[in-house]
Amino acid sequence: MTSTSKQGTPSKDQVHRVLLGKQQFLVTEDEPLLPQLERAGIHIEYQCREGYCSSCSIKLLWGQVEYPFEPLAWVHSGYMLACCAIVKSDIEIAFFHE
Amino acid sequence: MSYSTFNRKQFDSMKEPMFFGENVNVARYDQQKHPIFEKLIEKQLSFFWRPEEVDLSSDRKDFQRLAEHEQHIFLSNLKYQTLLDSVQGRSPNVALLPIVSLPELETWIETWSFSETIHSRSYTHIIRNIVNDPTVIFDDITVNTEITKRADSVSVYYDRLIEMVSLYNTLGMGTHHIPGKGNVEISMPTLKKALYLTIASVNVLEAIRFYVSFACSFAFAERTLMEGNAKIIKLIARDEALHLTGTQHMLNLMASGKDDPEMAVIAAECQEEVRNIFIEAAEQEKEWASYLFKDGSMIGLNAQILGQYVEYITNVRMQAVGLDACFGTKHNPIPWINAWLVSDNVQVAPQEAEISSYLVGQTDNNLDDSDFDDFDL
Ligand code: FES
Ligand SMILES: [Fe+2]
Ligand SMILES: [Fe+2]
Repeated sequence: MTSTSKQGTPSKDQVHRVLLGKQQFLVTEDEPLLPQLERAGIHIEYQCREGYCSSCSIKLLWGQVEYPFEPLAWVHSGYMLACCAIVKSDIEIAFFHE
Repeated sequence: MSYSTFNRKQFDSMKEPMFFGENVNVARYDQQKHPIFEKLIEKQLSFFWRPEEVDLSSDRKDFQRLAEHEQHIFLSNLKYQTLLDSVQGRSPNVALLPIVSLPELETWIETWSFSETIHSRSYTHIIRNIVNDPTVIFDDITVNTEITKRADSVSVYYDRLIEMVSLYNTLGMGTHHIPGKGNVEISMPTLKKALYLTIASVNVLEAIRFYVSFACSFAFAERTLMEGNAKIIKLIARDEALHLTGTQHMLNLMASGKDDPEMAVIAAECQEEVRNIFIEAAEQEKEWASYLFKDGSMIGLNAQILGQYVEYITNVRMQAVGLDACFGTKHNPIPWINAWLVSDNVQVAPQEAEISSYLVGQTDNNLDDSDFDDFDL
């Protein structure tokens, strides 16, 4: 499920698992998912990196993410915007064409 | 029903649908049925830029040094973009303002269309800087068959909607015989269908049709050529990324039935037709890429790679409006383009950057005491 919230309680050092197909990555709550996956060598489509163009939309199969501020792009249910979503639990993601 | 510039009826605009409800009367934004459109207005205003701020002096020299087939690529793209923004600078206003029913959406349409006029003015700025006689380039737009073919496809839905709405305003509902056109049926479902298809075709225009041209501009800039042009294209691309979100919201709101239940039925009926609008546009853009490269490719790009990019971006745009991707291309063949499309690379004046962060960080006046629990006052 996706949800939005105002600044949540800061929980630095929280580490969550991200499942993508057979791969698994560890991410923190310090920054959105997109830059963390990029550093792990995963290409995710993007344009604005600010939540308004929807190019980075990916499937969120399960788990929780939050948006520090509500993105302008439409977020379909079962999807998330990688550029601005903070991962809040272990999650499983997939690209839309998979 | 004829249009009124200030509807004298009393009604609750929070209960109106986006389109084909009451004509808007009071332009008020203290309450919004769909606050997203107010947010798009704020964002668009924070993006404001002027073409004249971008220095194009080195582009002139670069252009003269381009090979002839590269000049063809550059100029053809400029012509195509000029066509697209000529359409977009007027059509949202002409087609949508007479039928819009929410003040925040009405103002978004005006703000959106205004920003397109900046794009149009920027093409004159670019063309003046690279050639001695801009007329040769502008005049070709209405006669070059590769361009005019595209003019037909980008204007056909707008023009049909405008015609139907004007019949509706003058003759009302019913089947009207129009000399030269035969019978035209005007009913709420036919009007709403024409609207839905128009919004889909505008989404395609802004979310797909510009991208072949964007890719070529950035491919030149990767070779440090035509960099002033690339700066302008970056600003245009940033605006277009916002505009496409506007039409995605309209389409998704319509399909969800949350705005107007009747529209959800129309959207479901039109699904196949909308898919075809996307697919046809993608095929036309691939054809355009072949026309661009007919006399030779450019470093980093050829018709095949651009064709794959068109397919890829079409898939991305289709899923954003709830449609299944229709092309097999699963990877972006030119991932370097995204670094050019990202907004934070755009040079903005410091005060402009401050304004946009100010808007994002606006204080919420509806805080209650518990919101301050964490503060030491
Ligand atoms: S990159 Fe634009 S919404 Fe994420
Ligand atoms: Fe534009
Ligand atoms: Fe636009």
